[in-house]
Amino acid sequence: MAFEYLINFWIFAFMYIILVVSLNLSMGFTGLINLGHLAFWGVGAYTSALLTLNGVPWYFAMLAAGIVAAFFGFILALPTSKIKGDYLAIVSLGLVFIMDSVVRNWTSLTRGALGLPGIPRITSSSINFLVFSFILAAVVYFFAYKLVSSKHGKIMQAVRDDETAAKVLGKNTQLYKIMSLVISTFMAGIAGSLFAHYITFIDPTIFSPDILIIVLSMLIVGGLASLNGAVFGAIIVLALSELPRIIIVVPALIGPIRDMTFALLVLIVLIYKPRGLFGKVDL
Amino acid sequence: MVFDKYESQRLRMGSILPQLIVNGLIAGSIYALVASGFSLVYYVIKFLHFAHGAVLTISAYLFFVFLNVLGMNFVLALLLAIILAIALGLLINFVVYKPLRKRKSSNVVLLIISLTLLSFFTSFALAVFGSSTKTILLAQQNIIFDFGAIRFTIIQLAAFLLAIFLFFALWFIMKKTKLGKSMRALADNKDVAQVVGINPEKVYTYTFIIASFLAAIAGIIIGLDQNVFPRLGFNFIVKGFISSVVGGISSVPGAIVGGFFIGLAENLGIWVLPSGFKSVISFTILFIFLLFRPQGILGGKKDGI
Repeated sequence: MAFEYLINFWIFAFMYIILVVSLNLSMGFTGLINLGHLAFWGVGAYTSALLTLNGVPWYFAMLAAGIVAAFFGFILALPTSKIKGDYLAIVSLGLVFIMDSVVRNWTSLTRGALGLPGIPRITSSSINFLVFSFILAAVVYFFAYKLVSSKHGKIMQAVRDDETAAKVLGKNTQLYKIMSLVISTFMAGIAGSLFAHYITFIDPTIFSPDILIIVLSMLIVGGLASLNGAVFGAIIVLALSELPRIIIVVPALIGPIRDMTFALLVLIVLIYKPRGLFGKVDL
Repeated sequence: MVFDKYESQRLRMGSILPQLIVNGLIAGSIYALVASGFSLVYYVIKFLHFAHGAVLTISAYLFFVFLNVLGMNFVLALLLAIILAIALGLLINFVVYKPLRKRKSSNVVLLIISLTLLSFFTSFALAVFGSSTKTILLAQQNIIFDFGAIRFTIIQLAAFLLAIFLFFALWFIMKKTKLGKSMRALADNKDVAQVVGINPEKVYTYTFIIASFLAAIAGIIIGLDQNVFPRLGFNFIVKGFISSVVGGISSVPGAIVGGFFIGLAENLGIWVLPSGFKSVISFTILFIFLLFRPQGILGGKKDGI
């Protein structure tokens, strides 16, 4: 029992690590305030679920989940030369609402609010799934590490710190923003696919803003522009979120109190330690 | 989403276009009420105060508790709900926003903080009142004006008249009063305003009082017209935000114009699209405005984002 619980915890931890590392690429390293990360995650989950339910093998479906999510990431990246800061945050957040509406109302494809049950699991044993999630998270981490320490990664960070200067030095800053969002949303799509194949059921609540606050609190607690921060942020916040489940006896209160804890955590970190545990830049 | 409980019933009644326009004006009035306070904070202090939605939710619940649980009379319940909503707005400003302003935190930090506050109070309402919707019971609520092709309730009429009144009231406050002049001076150039003796924090306090007052009115109207539920503030602040950008975020009365624009667009849009696509319609309009007319409908040329 306790063993199963731990396996479940770490599968979620690895999935969140992929999400937070990828969000850190666009938000932490490139400075694109992307509050719509959840939309790409959800799109990945739905793409993968719909494909496997129609007989496509899971590895193709997972790849397709990444590609479809990255396509939407590309679309979001196009106007970033005109839409910046606060407004990019809102437009990207808007994507979450748009996806939610589309998924709820395109019932012939997604069954709307009823959700999609019976998504095939990738492996029958949860230990194998744990190993698989670990490998995926490790690949994502390693790729992100290579990227941010490469020449291209340095230019991404220059775009964040001073876009005009980067432009003056002849860098195509728009191209780097697009690249950053495409890679970041591809990873989010993969994380969504992983989620769908683990839970085996998805419905439009996947686009719920509560999950956005969870992922943001992981990013902010860990700190922006730090890959280790993303990993520790995800694990610490996830562990904290398990506490209400242990302490509180009234089941209906567990969810709301957990979400209040996340919110308080973000508030406290941003007010008293704005760079989080390992952060290298201010938000 | 619980946007309009009379909608399907209305759509079945013969010619729908006049009723869709009325529905659009009603939705628009509500968006305008939400957008006005939100827009005022943005105009004066220059950040997106999404926690305005928290004040909406909490004031609607407070009104419900005072009126239906504690059995107070209408006026007393209304007054208490408004006073406590203002207190909540001021508390958020003093405890959270003020320290961040002092540290010169970026707008993005304030944006995330305000979204987080909204999430906190949404979960708080969920923990205290549960996920079920609460219906505010008021005797006068069911007075319905029926003109055959169009019908609306007294609450919806009140929302419409309030929105029209607010358009002029905000225009008057911003252009003609000393407070409005200080607000405009601060919005224009904070340093110069301080040099001529305007105390920003004092003006910000008044701004939050007015904004939270407007939020309480909007929250109570929404509660009366529809129902009270934990996501109320979240659903409506998003529409309020879109309305204020579309109307022109640099113009406070613009929020009212934007509210009507979005309300009408959503309701005329569902003539051709299923009603679940309302948020797709409003976000698409937001996107188009941000790309091609970022200063909004009423904003001047130089006022773009």
